[in-house]
Amino acid sequence: MSRRLFLILGFGIGLAVGLYYAWLISPVEYVETAPYSLRADFRGDYLALIASAYASGGDLLRARTRLALFPDLDTATELAALAQQRLAAGLADTEASALSQLASALSQGPIRTPVPTVSVSPTPSNTPRPSPTRRPTAIPGAAFLLTSREQICDPLLSEPLIQVVVLNAAQGSVPGQEVIVVWDTGQDHFFTGLKPELGLGYGDFAMTEGVTYTLQLADSLQPVTHLAAHECEGQGDEPYLGSWLIQFEQSP
Amino acid sequence: MQNKLASLILGLVFGALIALVYGWLVRPVEYIDTSLDSLSIDYRTDYVLMVSESYASDQDLTLAQVRLAALGPQALDEYVTQAIDYALDNDFSRADLERLNALAIVLRALPQPAGIGPP
Repeated sequence: MSRRLFLILGFGIGLAVGLYYAWLISPVEYVETAPYSLRADFRGDYLALIASAYASGGDLLRARTRLALFPDLDTATELAALAQQRLAAGLADTEASALSQLASALSQGPIRTPVPTVSVSPTPSNTPRPSPTRRPTAIPGAAFLLTSREQICDPLLSEPLIQVVVLNAAQGSVPGQEVIVVWDTGQDHFFTGLKPELGLGYGDFAMTEGVTYTLQLADSLQPVTHLAAHECEGQGDEPYLGSWLIQFEQSP
Repeated sequence: MQNKLASLILGLVFGALIALVYGWLVRPVEYIDTSLDSLSIDYRTDYVLMVSESYASDQDLTLAQVRLAALGPQALDEYVTQAIDYALDNDFSRADLERLNALAIVLRALPQPAGIGPP
């Protein structure tokens, strides 16, 4: 065999041994990772924690800074979806509520994405911060009253819904309000603000045909009874099931 | 024969070098599904700070413990202590330090889990 053949053979063996060592025996270790590389479930936990911290202090700027650690995040949509997932999974209501509050707050006003920095810690320091933007909230202690309940026939809705709108005394939308729905064989709950594109105080629940529901705001003693999908006349011969629109308003 | 052996060794060394450069620098193993325990100290501190902010509001110690436990196998108050150290070194605000400290105090007051002692 020629000398060149031995050189190529050695190169091939060396390449194989080197890759085996670099990828399997001693791969690059990532011990100083950033939140964006987290696995999906940890990412969800991290986002929920950002929302919980926001709900506790109302510091939207800080929440935005933290969310900026996830460059691929479609913020309002992903937070709202995460809130619904957590509700569906039966996890802590407070987290779902916090997520909906943060999603609602983020959907308001211009998005001011913080300038990402490499060397600066994402954590806050003594640097004076602008005061946080306050989301519209309910006045603590004031009762919510039913102001309207109406049957609606909207052929664009794919299923019959109980649509709830919650307003504060100043007619502002109130996100994060828990709404409880009860029927003969069960109960469920949802929060306003999980669909910010339909209004921050909006929430809905899909009805099953033939079932009668009672609805109540968690912060209200006033139940709304006898809610059931009703028949609406379609443009053709086909009737379809209609929805309910329920509005609550906080007493001044 | 000696020339051939030298060629083999030379090729082997050269190939291994190229492979290491490729494997470590050009295309290293990518970790895209990392866990919370691999977070760097600044992010971990912010995580602990968020736990303490949330705890300050809801006073739900069990939830705070569950969240801290996701950081790894260490004692929970150690994570808070490390966060306080980092916060002190990096001039965090007094309010942040107080929240962290409040959580640390509560965690230290909990009975320590029984270790495996001598018979």
